[in-house]
Amino acid sequence: MTEQVASKKEAEVIAELDSFAELPDAPPKRKFRLTWVGYVSCAVVAFWLIICLIGPSIAPFHEMDMDGDDSFLPAGEGEYGHFYLGTDYLSRDTLSRILYGARNTIGISLAATLIAYLIGITLGILAAVKGGWIDMGISRVNDAILALPTIMLGLIVIAALGSSIPILIGTAAIIYATSVFRIARALGQDIMVQDFVEAAQTRGEGIWWIIRAEVLPNAAMPLATDFGLRLVFVVLFISSLSFLGLGVQPPASDWGSMVRENLQGLTYGSYAAIWPALAIASFTIAINLIVDDISAKSGGSLAKKMV
Amino acid sequence: MKDDKSKAELNYRDLTQSDKDLVSKLATGGFSRREVLKLSMATGVSLVAAEHLLTDGKAVNAATPKKGGSLRMASNLHGPDDQLDPTLFTSTIDYTRGRATYNSLVQHSNDLTPQPELAESFEPNANATEWTFKIRKGVTFHDGKKLTADDVVYTMKRHQGEASTSVIKSVLASVKEWKKTGSMEVKAILESPNADLPTLLGLFQTKIVKDGSTGEGIGTGPYVMDSFQPGVKSVHTRNKNYWREGANLDAIEITAITDPVARVNALISGDMQMVTQIEPNAFRQVESADNVTLLSTPAALQLGICILKNTAPGNNDDFVKGMQYIQDRERIVKRVLKGKGSLGNDTPISSAHGADFCSELPQRAYDPDKAKFHFKKSGISSAQLFVAPVTGGIEDVCLTAQANCAKIGFDLQLKKVPTDGYWGAVWMKEPLNVVTWNMRPTANSQLGIQFGPGAAWNDTFWDNKRMGELLSLSLAETDPAKRHAMYCEMQTLVHNGSGMVIPAFSNINDGIANNVMGMPTVPLGQLGGCEWPEFVWLA
Amino acid sequence: MMTRMVMQRIGIGFATLWVVSVIVFVATSILPGDVAEIVLGQSATPETLAALRAELGLDQPWYIRYFGWLGNMMTGDLGISKAGGATISSLIGGRLGNTVMMAGWVAVISIPISIALGLWAAMHPGTWLDRIVTFGTLSLISVPEFFIATVAVLILAVELHWLPSTAYMTGEENFLELMKALAMPLITLVIVVSAQMIRMTRAGILNVMSSPYIEMAILKGVPRSRIIMRHAFYNAIGPIINVIALNLAYLVSGVVIVETIFAYPGLAKLMIDGVQTRDLPLVQACAMIFCGTYVVLILIADIGSILSNPRLRNPK
Repeated sequence: MTEQVASKKEAEVIAELDSFAELPDAPPKRKFRLTWVGYVSCAVVAFWLIICLIGPSIAPFHEMDMDGDDSFLPAGEGEYGHFYLGTDYLSRDTLSRILYGARNTIGISLAATLIAYLIGITLGILAAVKGGWIDMGISRVNDAILALPTIMLGLIVIAALGSSIPILIGTAAIIYATSVFRIARALGQDIMVQDFVEAAQTRGEGIWWIIRAEVLPNAAMPLATDFGLRLVFVVLFISSLSFLGLGVQPPASDWGSMVRENLQGLTYGSYAAIWPALAIASFTIAINLIVDDISAKSGGSLAKKMV
Repeated sequence: MKDDKSKAELNYRDLTQSDKDLVSKLATGGFSRREVLKLSMATGVSLVAAEHLLTDGKAVNAATPKKGGSLRMASNLHGPDDQLDPTLFTSTIDYTRGRATYNSLVQHSNDLTPQPELAESFEPNANATEWTFKIRKGVTFHDGKKLTADDVVYTMKRHQGEASTSVIKSVLASVKEWKKTGSMEVKAILESPNADLPTLLGLFQTKIVKDGSTGEGIGTGPYVMDSFQPGVKSVHTRNKNYWREGANLDAIEITAITDPVARVNALISGDMQMVTQIEPNAFRQVESADNVTLLSTPAALQLGICILKNTAPGNNDDFVKGMQYIQDRERIVKRVLKGKGSLGNDTPISSAHGADFCSELPQRAYDPDKAKFHFKKSGISSAQLFVAPVTGGIEDVCLTAQANCAKIGFDLQLKKVPTDGYWGAVWMKEPLNVVTWNMRPTANSQLGIQFGPGAAWNDTFWDNKRMGELLSLSLAETDPAKRHAMYCEMQTLVHNGSGMVIPAFSNINDGIANNVMGMPTVPLGQLGGCEWPEFVWLA
Repeated sequence: MMTRMVMQRIGIGFATLWVVSVIVFVATSILPGDVAEIVLGQSATPETLAALRAELGLDQPWYIRYFGWLGNMMTGDLGISKAGGATISSLIGGRLGNTVMMAGWVAVISIPISIALGLWAAMHPGTWLDRIVTFGTLSLISVPEFFIATVAVLILAVELHWLPSTAYMTGEENFLELMKALAMPLITLVIVVSAQMIRMTRAGILNVMSSPYIEMAILKGVPRSRIIMRHAFYNAIGPIINVIALNLAYLVSGVVIVETIFAYPGLAKLMIDGVQTRDLPLVQACAMIFCGTYVVLILIADIGSILSNPRLRNPK
């Protein structure tokens, strides 16, 4: 193809883009402004991201040090220092383990969710746009993985390949990419039958143009809403692997495993299982509230007026 | 009966304080019956008194069993692989169902002496190369068929031959032939002398099944199997035609709760009357609940780290020494096992083995300086240890070692792997791995199984000729002092030369409701060596 | 039109089942150890392993084992558990009933609650009521199931003695006793599942509320409750049904932690046990059931979406 043709096409595209913006069915322009809930949530997420970076250096103890005088102690002074949140089942400092664990929990879940989105959206939109045998093939494999229990898939992969952080991320990403794929494909199909896409097709737009200009922007918000939940599921997936005795390798801590291994402490009134649960909750709730805020502000502006 | 008891108490009161201490030690276990009898003679306690202390050490056992009632017991593991075929028993729930349903030729008592069960008597020939078993008369299977020598020979032959899939095939390999020598008499002809054969016939897998069957839940035992759903539960009702006393309950239900926290909660909330495997973190919860009791039976349940001697880094003796000195044994017993365990001395024999335990062998202590010295001398600065939760506390032992290694600059990496597939893929394959063994009834079988040169499960691949000699010599030795010297030598060899690191032994910790009486204390498995169905009753 | 689609979907369902059987077969074969090693465990020796493998037919090549299983499956013969020797149908039979019963009760309780609360929150977006529902559901979603289950047991069973701590069933209960036995897992699952369904219902309706025709209706002055009940809900049914379907599929196949904690004999735990014992026929049978359930639920959800979306109903 000659350069001339290419540049001509580009010019057409720009012209049509401008005219398209005037159409009544065009997707609304989005602005990101937050309520106070959104700002608080952003602060919480920022706090945890900072902890991911500096957690180990501000922790009073190393995550593997068993320096407490006993297991499941309440907060207080110990022989080797002050235990601000008490000790866990192996007389390690709970606070230090939460600070160290932030890296694993947040790192693994964010990485896995992002990869899941990358895989899921790419394949989902590909299937929706291309249809036919490509759609059929990807969808069957996807349904097959989705139909099997996630814990079982995790168990098989980790039993076969061993448990390391890259493998945990990869496993979680593939398992959760299946749900993203379904959503992305459904959204893609939905959008492909909308008038403005049909209009674009009638105008003879290329497939990639339609994806970039029409499908992705319209699918972005529902996918973002799902992102928050998917992140929670990845955190829970890693912690449910710890229920089966898999998950992050010792002595590394992740919050889900910390809840699991200190569960017995609840019967003694120890908070060793509650602190990591609160850490998980604060991070994941904050992420979801931010997502809620953005979607309410941009999409549901009229809905808000009704109140 | 009553007279005997008062006599026993009278005699007990006559003792001096030091004798009383000794005798009370007897009652809490740790001595074999042989020693008890010897001691009773020395101290002047009548045989009756000694026997009372031995069998009725606990006050609860003194009362007469009451008939009736039913209970539920929850083990720690079950699944679709639950078995009714004794030759394939591998888990507590199988052993317990086996005890309720079948009988063995020989039964282990609390002090691990073999007692007649379906064999009325068992006699060796002069050099213990042949054993004759007289089969009990008048015993019937649950379907009404009479027990004969044919059933016994058939059962025993299931452990032999190429097509045999018995898990104790190699344990019973010393038997050349099982021979029917009368309608109610069976002879075992051995390859080499073995004075301990009867104890082997008390193993969980040797339960007697009907000629031509694979068990199928029909045995001669105290309870008849009503229903059996693998991985769900089994229900057993009292065998009205049981050939002896026992079977006090109307019905028992056997199930499992795999989650340890849920298992303890089920016990305390009264859903279950007996549960196995109370984890150290739950001791306080069980002990402080007023409706249940924590049963902690001292046993040689080893928390072991195997270092393969036939490959790097285990072929370096200094590395092994370093790993042994870095074990903070006191802390493990105190913190990990919460005091319900005993120090290990890198040999598989503990004081629970009685007279054969070598108490003279100096206890290896936590010594980070020596560990550092040996690690340095070995030239090795890091190693990878494969850990699976094969027994309660083993992961925490490894975590403790890891933290202590880090303090002296040695990088001990832990690789956590699942339990399923562990025995095939990791154990005896990876250079450093963890292991546990059910306690064996004799020191000889315990040492032989793990450290016999060329033994099938020599899991540190430690090949020591002297060890092999001593193993067979000690089986034929009858003089207690010489025998003890031999066992001491074997333990010293293992302690100094093998690749085994055993920082601690765990007790067997189970929980029962307070109204469960008559619990046996056989240390060979959970809940009194899984012997409880025959003995317990409800107050 | 609809019949053609259903027939097409049934065909797709069988294709998915076949893909699942291949995935399961390959996955269980790459796991370390086989059923013989697991059954013999620590006591395995090369001789006993060889003997047991021969007995179980594990020494045959993979294609004979796979197609043998596939052939039996076609004729309705699920085979025999390699690990324990019981027939697969006897292992699955009672558990399938238990799983369906539990999933059914959870659905009956949680679907109405979720839709009602989700609608209610969507009718009052941004208010304190909405924030409480949002925050509460998020909190419950983000805490591990085993935490919720254990806290519930400690309070309701261990401390208060109101309910049994395990879902132990004797098979002779009357209805009330059965409900009592199932109460703890029911409570846990209703909490876990409803939280998610409430959130998705709310999000689905709010999403529809932002579409142009609803904006038009709002500008025309139609009352908001009427808009939600008449227009928004009807149009949000598609996504909501999808979420319900996925949650029902989860209740059938994914509740292994709840089954473990409450010792409830269901299918999810059976499949995990099957994987852990490398019991291929058992894992395959469970996988077929899970996949079949999934395909049927998704089919229903798709029909629901199509019926509620005029654009999809009449594709151009």
